[in-house]
Amino acid sequence: MAFEEILSDAFRGTIIVGLTLAGLLAVLIWIKNRTTRVSYLRVVVQVASLVTIFATLLFLAQWPSILTVAIILMPFVVGRFFCGWICPFGLYMDLTTFVRKAFKMRYWNLPEKVNVYLHNFRYVLAASVLALPLLYGALDLNVWGAFALFKPPFLPLIIFFLGPLEPLIIPSQMGGSLILTKGWNLSYPYTRGFLDFLSDPLLASVLAGILVAFALATAFKVRRFWCRFCPTGVSAAALNRFKGFGWAPILRINKAEEKCTKCGICKRVCPLQVTEVYEQKGGDITTQMCMLCLRCVEMCPYEDCLKVNMAGKTLFKSRNWLEPTKVSEKPNEKQN
Amino acid sequence: MKSKTEPKKYLPEMPQREIEEIQTTVKAASMKVMADNIERMKKTSPNRPAAMQYFDEISNFFGTREKEIRAEKEKGKKVIGYFCMFAPIELILAADAIPVRVNSGWYDTSKVGDRVVPVEVCPVIRSTIGAKMVGLSPYLELSDAIISTLTCDGMTKLSEILSDAKPILTMAPPRVKDSPQSLSLWKEEIKTIKTQIEKITGNKITPKKLRAAIETIQKATKAFRRLQELRKGPPVIMGRDAMLVNQTAQWDDLKRWTEKTEALCDELEKRVQQKMWACPPDTPRVLITGTPMFWPDNWKMPTLLEEGNPQGVLVADELCSSDRILYDPVGIDEWTWEDMINGIAERYLMASTCPCFTSKDGNEDRINWLVNKVKEWKVNGVIYYVVRGCMLYAMEYSRVKRVLDSLNIPVYYLDTEYTREDVGQMKTRVEAFLEMLSARVEF
Repeated sequence: MAFEEILSDAFRGTIIVGLTLAGLLAVLIWIKNRTTRVSYLRVVVQVASLVTIFATLLFLAQWPSILTVAIILMPFVVGRFFCGWICPFGLYMDLTTFVRKAFKMRYWNLPEKVNVYLHNFRYVLAASVLALPLLYGALDLNVWGAFALFKPPFLPLIIFFLGPLEPLIIPSQMGGSLILTKGWNLSYPYTRGFLDFLSDPLLASVLAGILVAFALATAFKVRRFWCRFCPTGVSAAALNRFKGFGWAPILRINKAEEKCTKCGICKRVCPLQVTEVYEQKGGDITTQMCMLCLRCVEMCPYEDCLKVNMAGKTLFKSRNWLEPTKVSEKPNEKQN
Repeated sequence: MKSKTEPKKYLPEMPQREIEEIQTTVKAASMKVMADNIERMKKTSPNRPAAMQYFDEISNFFGTREKEIRAEKEKGKKVIGYFCMFAPIELILAADAIPVRVNSGWYDTSKVGDRVVPVEVCPVIRSTIGAKMVGLSPYLELSDAIISTLTCDGMTKLSEILSDAKPILTMAPPRVKDSPQSLSLWKEEIKTIKTQIEKITGNKITPKKLRAAIETIQKATKAFRRLQELRKGPPVIMGRDAMLVNQTAQWDDLKRWTEKTEALCDELEKRVQQKMWACPPDTPRVLITGTPMFWPDNWKMPTLLEEGNPQGVLVADELCSSDRILYDPVGIDEWTWEDMINGIAERYLMASTCPCFTSKDGNEDRINWLVNKVKEWKVNGVIYYVVRGCMLYAMEYSRVKRVLDSLNIPVYYLDTEYTREDVGQMKTRVEAFLEMLSARVEF
């Protein structure tokens, strides 16, 4: 058991270091209002959350109850912030993007219409995932227990809500599809359901592998391809759709109409090809498509044009990213 | 390249003696005007920043910069001129050529230009034609090709007229900015101009070079913006001085210009800390928008404004000859070739607030940007400066006035010509406006 202890310590260390780093960066951004570091912060947070999820799987027996809480809270609190900052599957896709960048290859942009079509397609996908339990005898009232959600017929619901949370490698007791080494299994995001519904584990693994390979391969050329029709995104963004719940995902992006010259940078840098940031005139421009990666806020060259609001308070704004560091270190001349 | 035997379409044949005669007189007059303008700028702000010395020098058309460009040209470098702020300077720099803006600000040559086009035509166009006819502008003469963007009617025909004398590379911007097909058209234009620049210079534009050029311009933008930011506070620099700095960016070596501007900003920041203002902080703050005004002759408007009694200070402008020159950066997401070209295309088309554009809701971008400028730079009054014949700016006036009225910002329409004759009359008009503004400021 010494190995596991070392592992546990290592994980804890990574989490602590990661979160400290993230916190430090957040404070730096807050104090100096230098949004150029948001991308770095995002990667740090993503890695930290991946490690956290992995550690939770390993060492916390209360894993299902944590999931329940997460499922209930996610749409309320974070919205699609989850997709941009926490989702491990998103991190894998971002990693393939880094690989593409290293090869100096250009990404493909989907035509706008196709993008909107995919965006709508995810409702179909989400509905079919939700319908799966009904196909598998959910009408048997015996399964409607306290934790029925985590028992086979309803398992797709977890997949639906938290599918991408599945890290690629999981401990054996969690199931998984392919045995990697002793004690460790290979498991793909979104594919846990296959194992339960298909009797042949090999077939399930192959199918799951194909699905994940498809998602990662497409993400190599089309930025965050899966996220454009991810059913989890539907659940995370669900509350954005209803009026009166606008406050629910507490992070919002606001745009000041006058400060925008429509230079188009926000539209070009968006990994999900969200056009609303560019097209809408002003006000709240957070949409269901937006995963709040804040790349547009970071790249917007006009001061105060885009703002990130958290529960009504401005966290940070777009900055003149060309501004030399010299100025910010000196006393602010605007106060005179 | 034009062969010399081809008949000229527009430009008349002028006897060599006449050309030389006009050239020498206008040149002498121009030298005097430049010296005089600088002298007056020094007089207006007695404690003018020492760093302005460099810009005074470089602003001389017939001085150090001309010699430099000539020397570089002899070494084999090409010079590419341009008219509008749509010409992608990054591409010119990446092809190891020197970009210079060749719009003319000489009053006298507009009379020479009258021989080709009627007086109703915008004087910027007439003056540029005249400058070419007598070979006055050194940058225009030195350029191997000229990039002309077909923005307004004047520019469209100007490129045609000047093609008698120089190879002209035309770029046609779409008149509607925000439709996807217009951006794709403009991207094609950028790609075409890239191959044409490569052909003229004989240098291939590689991704590496382009990246270096973009970064050079980004640094220049950084310095440029820093200067504009400093003008947001109490006037630490007179508007004319800042305008001169902005204008020199059109023909100076941009790396050196960046250094010098940063040095100027350092000096200005020190002054801000010492609370050493260029003029009393309660001086009415004025913004100028409208037709571009070019050094050296067309300097009368800012001069009248800042030498007037009561005095005004030019804190910002929305002119493509000054505050718009380097303000918008090229933003690059990933440094791939495609993304760089896209970034350049978007910076020049989408971020531009030229009045030649329209859209569903009119030229909304210009209005928004103007309102932003008025608010951010705490402007007390706006002067809408238009030269006769400048249709696009003149026609947008009523809309701008309506918007500024709703903000309770007085706006004054001032139309003029490329002439010194109306200075007295303009002085009265400008001073009346300033009188009203200073009363409002005190109130």
